[in-house]
Amino acid sequence: MHELNWGLPVILYLFLAGLGAGAVTVSGSVLLRKGGFHDSRMDIARYGALIGPIPVMLGTFLIVFELGQPFRALNLFKMLNLSPMSIGTWALALFIILSGLYAICFIPRQATWPWLGKARRVLAWLCVPLGISVAIYTGVLLGAMPARPFWNSPILAGLFVLSALSTGTAAIMLMVALFGEKSAEHREGRENDQYLLVSSDALLLGGEMLVIFLFLMFAHLTIGDVRHAVEVILPGGSLASLFWWGVVLIGILFPFVMELFQVVPKLLYGRTFRSSLVLEVAVALSVLAGGFALRYIIVVAGQVTGPTTL
Amino acid sequence: MNDQEKPDTSRRGFVQLLAGGAVAATAASALGSLAPAGGAESTAKQSRIQYGMLIDTRRCIGCHSCSVACKAEFDVPLGVNKSWVEYTEKGTFPNVNRHFLPRLCNHCSEPQCVAVCPTGATYKRPQDGIVVVDSGLCIGCKYCIQACPYDARFLNPVTNFADKCDFCIHRVSKGLLPSCVNSCIGGARIFGDVNDPESEISRQIAANAVTVLRPGKGTEPNVYYIEADITEEAENSDGSYRVRVSTHRSIKERR
Repeated sequence: MHELNWGLPVILYLFLAGLGAGAVTVSGSVLLRKGGFHDSRMDIARYGALIGPIPVMLGTFLIVFELGQPFRALNLFKMLNLSPMSIGTWALALFIILSGLYAICFIPRQATWPWLGKARRVLAWLCVPLGISVAIYTGVLLGAMPARPFWNSPILAGLFVLSALSTGTAAIMLMVALFGEKSAEHREGRENDQYLLVSSDALLLGGEMLVIFLFLMFAHLTIGDVRHAVEVILPGGSLASLFWWGVVLIGILFPFVMELFQVVPKLLYGRTFRSSLVLEVAVALSVLAGGFALRYIIVVAGQVTGPTTL
Repeated sequence: MNDQEKPDTSRRGFVQLLAGGAVAATAASALGSLAPAGGAESTAKQSRIQYGMLIDTRRCIGCHSCSVACKAEFDVPLGVNKSWVEYTEKGTFPNVNRHFLPRLCNHCSEPQCVAVCPTGATYKRPQDGIVVVDSGLCIGCKYCIQACPYDARFLNPVTNFADKCDFCIHRVSKGLLPSCVNSCIGGARIFGDVNDPESEISRQIAANAVTVLRPGKGTEPNVYYIEADITEEAENSDGSYRVRVSTHRSIKERR
């Protein structure tokens, strides 16, 4: 086996930064949604804003200390070049600052001062594109290297964005389920929130399934380096069981089917949306576990495989 | 060990400090330098010195003089190598053969490590085409190590910076040969300017069938081989044709 130059801190960073950036992006999008913003959606925007920056900062802390000499990381700010890591560093730094401010704006539940609501909206306009950038650059970073055939695919960045948004949505889902308003008069608003989150997450998981299918199919149909590399996650490969059980089954299929069960009655037959706390928590946790397993598989698989001929 | 790069480093540092104040200016200059080369620039690319190496594997006896000389020259820490030799053993007794493949950084004309470096710490020297690491800027992110298709880079366990062969700049700049060339007892290594058609290396490249490693990766390596045996262990998959690739490096796999 090749030695792993990028280990657990990097894997955790990819997962946590994606989760946080996804949560803030979802929060900002819900806040800015034209005409559809009711008080009932406030919980989504608020919890997304409040929890988003924390995992991003934690992940950044992990990769900076992974360097061995943390203060060396300041060299990254001496220049901006076309390296995905350089662009990503600047995007990440801006995102941490602005999403931090965005989170502070949400500490008071109600926008008691008129400028606070405006500040929230301005920061949301900035945080949504930055959140997408933070979620996408890691996929571009890994995909940029012909020396790593497993990663060297433009679709990897797409997979990372979808996974970031779906783990971010799941984190908000978990927060709303655990800490959201539970009193009887908020019941309808809360169910509205959960419906929006669950249906969006189902859509994102569907997208992930499509991207994974395309990734596997193209890799399998080609010959040479890429096919050889992707064999590591196909049945019989050393990472196959974690990929198929952890990512596909627990991370995508189980929550996707559960979410469809919740969403379809309202979506197709106009029935009232019903949900249960246990189901919400189980779905959210399985999406989060699957998101981590996906980053783990991709980071490890890219490093244990290489070009086949010298 | 990187003292020899100091004058160049400080100039770069100065330019970057100037640019550091204005991120936009830096971005503009970075974009400008990466823009497709015009006529003038491509002429400059052709006329400048590009050091390269030609390794005649027919003359290599696998003695590791190069590996040891390199270790001694740079005090390379245990477990990592800037220069190493791979053994390829194949066949079934009595029809067996063993080939040696000396390896080092290819000082590519299109170095992927340079393209991915986020701080500009690794760069291709314009004056002689040697790819170097500026330890003053390197943050040890290991991106270049991932990006190198030849596994020529490693994280120096003592300094925590990316490290690799630099064609012995400190010797070459004083008119000496790189340490591995100097110590090669078979005379298997020829070092010189591949852009100068009159140099010994250019004449040998013109006169022999030469190959580079992984030409399909588009890196345009400047280390050439005569009769390099690039058989892989994967070719052994049905078991009928025995192949074993081994090396003294701690990283046993080829990449």
